[in-house]
Amino acid sequence: MEQERPPSKWKNILDKLRNLGQISPDKTRRTILRRRYYVALISRRLTLIEIILFLIGYLWLLVLPLPRLGQRTYMDENALQPAQVNTYWNWDDVHAADNYLDHVERLRDNNITSAKRAEWLQTELGKHGISASTQNYTFSTSFGIVNGTNTYAILASPRHSGTEAIVISASWISRIGEGNGTVNVRGVSTVLALAGFLKRYSHWGKDIVFVLSDGYLEGMQAWLSSYHGTSQSGLKVDPLELTSGVIWTALNIDYSGHSFSHLGIFFEALNGRLPNQDLMNSADTIARYTAGVPVILYDHLDPEEEPAAYEAPWWLPKAIHDIKEVRSYLYQAKNVARHIGYQYNGRGSGVHGLFRQFRIDAITLYGIPAMGPHGFHAIGRTVESTLRTMNNLLERLHASFFFYLQTGPRQFLKIGLYLPSAILISVALMFRGLGTWVNAGWISANHNSKDGALSKESTWRSRKRPITGTLSVMIAMHAFGAALFALVSSSWFISNIETLAPIAFLTAFVLPLFALVIPSTKSEDVAPMHMILKTANLCLTSTVISIITLMNFSLAAVLAVVLGIPLVISSPSSKMSVRIAKYSAYALLALGWLLFAQQEIVKSVWSWQVLLVWFAPFVCIVYVPLVLQAGIVCLLQP
Amino acid sequence: MWTSGRIAHILLLCSPIFALSAERFDETLSINTLQDGKVSSKFTFTTLLKGASPRNPKTLDEEDESQLYTVFPLGLGQILREYAVTELHLSLNTGRWNYDRWGYPEETGVGTGAELWAWMGDGAIRTVDERWKGLRNALAGLFCTSLGSMDDLRTTSPEKTFVPEGSLPNWDAPHQIRHASLPSENVCTENLTPFLKLLPCKSLSGIATLLNPHKLFDADWHGMSVHVLWRGDEGVEVRLTFQSVSDPLRSAVTRKQDWSFESLFGRTIDRPCPVAETSEVSVTLPINAMYTIQPEPARVENNLAKFDVKEISEPLLVRMIWPRPFSYPQTYHSEATPFSVRRTLKGSSQAWGQLSLVIENHRPTSMRAMYLETMPWLLQFHLHTLQARIDGVLQDKIISNVQYMPSVPHSRPTTLQAILTLPPDTSVHITMDVTKAFLRYTEFQPDAQRGWDLPPAIITPLEDHDNYTIPSYSEKRMYTANLLVEQATPDFSMPYNVIIFTCSLIAFIFGSIFNILTRNFVLVKVD
Amino acid sequence: MSSKPQPPSSSPPPNNNFAVAFCALAAARTWLSLTGFSSLLDHNQLVSSPLTAFSNLKEGIFLFNHDIDPYSGGSFRQSPLLLSLFTTILPSSSKPLASLLWTLNDVVGAYTLVQIWRSRQNVTSSRRDTLVAAAYLLNPYLFLPSLALSTSSFENTLMLSAILFACKRKPSQTVFTLSVLVQLSLTSIIMVLPAMLLLITDPHSHLASPQPIQTSLRKLWPLFGEFSLYTIVLILISTVIAGSWTWIPQTWGATLMLPDLTPNTGMWWYFFTEMFDHFRPFFLMVFSVHLLIYVAPVCLKFQYDPLYAAYILLGILGIFKPYPTLSDPGLFVSMIALFPETYQYMRHPIVTLLLHLHAALLMPLFYDLWVVQGAGNANFFYASTLVFACANGAAIVDALWSGLRVAIGETPEGYVVVQE
Repeated sequence: MEQERPPSKWKNILDKLRNLGQISPDKTRRTILRRRYYVALISRRLTLIEIILFLIGYLWLLVLPLPRLGQRTYMDENALQPAQVNTYWNWDDVHAADNYLDHVERLRDNNITSAKRAEWLQTELGKHGISASTQNYTFSTSFGIVNGTNTYAILASPRHSGTEAIVISASWISRIGEGNGTVNVRGVSTVLALAGFLKRYSHWGKDIVFVLSDGYLEGMQAWLSSYHGTSQSGLKVDPLELTSGVIWTALNIDYSGHSFSHLGIFFEALNGRLPNQDLMNSADTIARYTAGVPVILYDHLDPEEEPAAYEAPWWLPKAIHDIKEVRSYLYQAKNVARHIGYQYNGRGSGVHGLFRQFRIDAITLYGIPAMGPHGFHAIGRTVESTLRTMNNLLERLHASFFFYLQTGPRQFLKIGLYLPSAILISVALMFRGLGTWVNAGWISANHNSKDGALSKESTWRSRKRPITGTLSVMIAMHAFGAALFALVSSSWFISNIETLAPIAFLTAFVLPLFALVIPSTKSEDVAPMHMILKTANLCLTSTVISIITLMNFSLAAVLAVVLGIPLVISSPSSKMSVRIAKYSAYALLALGWLLFAQQEIVKSVWSWQVLLVWFAPFVCIVYVPLVLQAGIVCLLQP
Repeated sequence: MWTSGRIAHILLLCSPIFALSAERFDETLSINTLQDGKVSSKFTFTTLLKGASPRNPKTLDEEDESQLYTVFPLGLGQILREYAVTELHLSLNTGRWNYDRWGYPEETGVGTGAELWAWMGDGAIRTVDERWKGLRNALAGLFCTSLGSMDDLRTTSPEKTFVPEGSLPNWDAPHQIRHASLPSENVCTENLTPFLKLLPCKSLSGIATLLNPHKLFDADWHGMSVHVLWRGDEGVEVRLTFQSVSDPLRSAVTRKQDWSFESLFGRTIDRPCPVAETSEVSVTLPINAMYTIQPEPARVENNLAKFDVKEISEPLLVRMIWPRPFSYPQTYHSEATPFSVRRTLKGSSQAWGQLSLVIENHRPTSMRAMYLETMPWLLQFHLHTLQARIDGVLQDKIISNVQYMPSVPHSRPTTLQAILTLPPDTSVHITMDVTKAFLRYTEFQPDAQRGWDLPPAIITPLEDHDNYTIPSYSEKRMYTANLLVEQATPDFSMPYNVIIFTCSLIAFIFGSIFNILTRNFVLVKVD
Repeated sequence: MSSKPQPPSSSPPPNNNFAVAFCALAAARTWLSLTGFSSLLDHNQLVSSPLTAFSNLKEGIFLFNHDIDPYSGGSFRQSPLLLSLFTTILPSSSKPLASLLWTLNDVVGAYTLVQIWRSRQNVTSSRRDTLVAAAYLLNPYLFLPSLALSTSSFENTLMLSAILFACKRKPSQTVFTLSVLVQLSLTSIIMVLPAMLLLITDPHSHLASPQPIQTSLRKLWPLFGEFSLYTIVLILISTVIAGSWTWIPQTWGATLMLPDLTPNTGMWWYFFTEMFDHFRPFFLMVFSVHLLIYVAPVCLKFQYDPLYAAYILLGILGIFKPYPTLSDPGLFVSMIALFPETYQYMRHPIVTLLLHLHAALLMPLFYDLWVVQGAGNANFFYASTLVFACANGAAIVDALWSGLRVAIGETPEGYVVVQE
């Protein structure tokens, strides 16, 4: 026994090991069948899955403003210590600001040339012993020449090497009506008074750069690009005579009314970027607790804080909007809508938006025009304390969030809570694309419809799926989009847009009709082109949407809404009239902006040429071809 | 113990004799009003060890002669002997010296942070680099600074720019220079206290009384420096200096630039320092301006009011009063310096940038200057993009005699020396592309997101002698501002995750490849 | 054999038709290289690694011309051969001229690829020629690095010409080209064995009829001897050019020691950024050896079709190279055009394609978010390089599977092919 057991044991183990390696045929057969079963299961329910994904995605987009969904903001960078300091800004400084205000208003009323104005500003700043200088710039764009003069001064902080700097800026034109010409008089006076005030203290650990930029956006763009030494086609700008260190944070003051009731925070930067959230949070905290000013997002009054200012929407019965939840949902929905409006076209919401392209976190403090109660005293203290907070910063802002969705001044969504909405829709597109690809790969032996019969493979023959033709069509369409962009951004198009836009629309409408003459594939062993094209189009769209979500969520959400359903349902039909009708619908979706949104065209092209916002090229080179390809899918012969 | 006490007693007895015979101590304070209303003051304490000469490194293995000093700082002396240092310059500064408004500093080394350079004889059993390392650490201990981190990443030898101020003994082996700067070093009380300890009267009497940390470290700019040099005919000289630029207008409600010892230093000079040979306060009197100075100066010679501290009977409190409030000039005339320099690092990317240097020559004559960059390897130069422009037009005559030692990743810094020919009354723009290095996660500083301070560039005006050029002595070298370079940071919490992810992906690809390679195909009948 | 639909431009008569199309492609590339577009890629580290960047090459040339040893610093890591080439013959000063040169190099590469295709099919001209050329000239992975003037384009052309010489049975040329290639990038040494197998066998497609290699492997020894001879000679020449041995640690040493951790599309840089210092040498050794593991098995498995083995190994090089650029996987992707017989057996082509699409769009975006915008951190870009590695891995699995699967041919009704 004893001496037999070990060999037998060894034998068993060895047999087990031998059998481990080899798989018996019927075992493999079973695995294959199981796999096929699951594949069939999924592919049969593919449409259902897509519908569910679409529903969840769109619902998700709708519930984003729910008060319960978001969370309260909090400070993440411990070095900032907002509202922890005594402020020294007092009524003498307010008086100084008032004196400046008289001069600035005189400058505005006698509409002095910007060069003269800059000269005066430089002199005033120089009187504080701060080295000040001016800078001329000229943009030559499709809209003609835009030129002006910036004024800036650098307060060298004592006992510091000047390797870091804070910018405090005010543009000459206020943001009211996206820069409709209202002069930012009090903002400019505040900066002038602050220059004299801040110099009296020795606790600055960073240089403070005062920038009084000309115009609304273009002045600051010129100043920033010459500060960072980036060259931009069409921009001629003097080199800066004074420089300082690396700029980490910036604060832009926009205060044009007589006095203000709330401080509004604007934060969206160019091309869908956002500043670090800590900056907004600290400004919010400081304004509330140091200056005692209520803070709001944009200029939207919170119905809970300001019931007086809140009027119910006419379409909502009183019983419903009396519910607190509903009111706050509407309020946050308003905020989200405003945010998407600022972000999707990449134009940002003000002067602060220009900083982010140089890794500078910046926001605008906007005094909501009102008959009081707050004025220079409040804004001065807020800015002083905010500067102290920025001054505390030991490293570049990196702790808090760069990806967030602000639903209220102190309420936001993390990326994980809003991103899936758009991603789910793009996944649905991807599923439909793959499903079409699989269907294109099979032809039933008895040639009838290819729907939902994937389970009985026996009657199905695989067929070839040529992609060369499809690829050439898509390349042609995108090249066509590039040509369209070249046309739209040209100066003579802009100058007489009313006449040229309809012509452009007609040409762009007619050109893709060449697809009608593409012959249908004769043999059944080759998949029809429209399926291949639809596959490629859907997969590309889904990829584009899911990638844009990280660069510019609003744009991705808009794309998901606009492209989701239409691209999925694009399909050819036997009747020529139906095909044309379908195509024209898609063409309208793709190119309608040429007819109905000419003002938007002008704005987008301007911000492309002056601020390098890539929305206009994106629409022409990516969006238009995608939709037109869906139209071509309808045009192609079934 | 008994004997040691006896010896100490004897030393005490005979110390005055040494003081009289072999050593000499002088102290001066010079105060100067600047054109933007600020007041610059400079303390100088000079100790001369007569007839002494630096130690020859050849004798490092032998027993050194005994060192017996009274006023000469022993702690410093021992370090000098131990590492056989011929000439030594250490400066610890805080703030940026504004050449355009303040003119030349009286003490040249005003680069922000710590700077140390020394000339040492070669040919010893211990190499120059070993002794340089020892010297760094010894001085770090003496002055409570972090000079120890001036390691090989920061040490260069730019012998052209840092010429010896004294004379070098002609031993058979040549002398070598070692230079390092630590731009992120902060200077404060913990450095001043050991500095005061080196003075014979500490801060108890004499001019040193005024060295009051509470006031000095509130100034706009302050710096202390230690200079050791050998004057062949006299002996070894140790010069301890403290400079500061304070702003009387900062807190002034009445915009007047009045100052006094009280407002500048918060103290008065109560009694003179007994061992000081001379002890003098000199105030530069402003030209064609209304002012009063109190007390009446002992004597006024070429616009300098001099007070002799040795003679004071009651505490000395110098005060200067202006009748009118001060108004800042719109333009600052900067003839004091031959040119103004502005250096910036352009571009906001963390992978590359452009180093730009703007030099404006104020003089009506063409000038030549030596341009020196000593850059840690964090910033790698692209020398082929080094270009000089005058209002946008490329000029190839401006940069000449380029000497370049490229940096080695993770070790050696770059040294770039060039001679610039600056045409009169023009500003020259010099640009060069640089790439920012990507570091290992172990190489970052604790505040990784802040970036690294880069040392200043140094511009030395040159004087043309009949056939060769030497650094001019009338106009000393100028330091540009520091730079901050920001490196892209990895995620410091990720090492394990990265190792796991990468390895498992490689294993996955490897596995699936060999899975296909090793197994063979079979036909299986389904259904 | 070809199951690919014919591109419209190559209906008979093929020859002059191909010539026209080829010239059109070349002209398009030339135009592209002369537009300002290339300036956008100047500092892009995805298309040029520290070992291949044009700015580093210019730096080296500048230092060399000013009597400063370019290998004394850390900026220049290209081979002395390139240095001598660019200092003596070619003017690297003017950008347009350089971009023309690079375009020309790509055109040569494309023509070489066409020649390889022809000699594999054993025809003088075929109707796929245009497609093959287009697959090389219009491959963004290939023309973006070439627009950025990355010297990896030259390595690709050398690699292709080595393969072509091998196909045409020209031993000396093959071996010489290979040794030059190894001078430029050490990791290419894993291509030596397949190329030599190709020399002693034939380039035609035997995927459908696998059989053990006929010719005796003894023929390899003289080839290896010749190869090492050329290599030694070239090393000596390089040393003479560089004036010292310092070029070896700077160029070859860099691929083994990874001193420069600049981000790229590969898997090494972040791994060794985050590596603990005391494990660094060990993992460097592991990663370097790991590259060699694949050579023998792949060459054994595909001994009947060495060209296919070379193709697989190029793909592996594209994933696991120390300092890859986009053009390394790009060469693999373009070479797919040579093996139409495998298309219908690919395992999951659409998945591979989509992975590539996502990776190709994500990498530049995340690089920008991390390095330029400072909004996302390094993990974003690292993750995108992992996706890229997955895409390349999937492509290799496709190629391996289909390459072996061809041998089975069409399956009868109701049967499926599996591995056991």
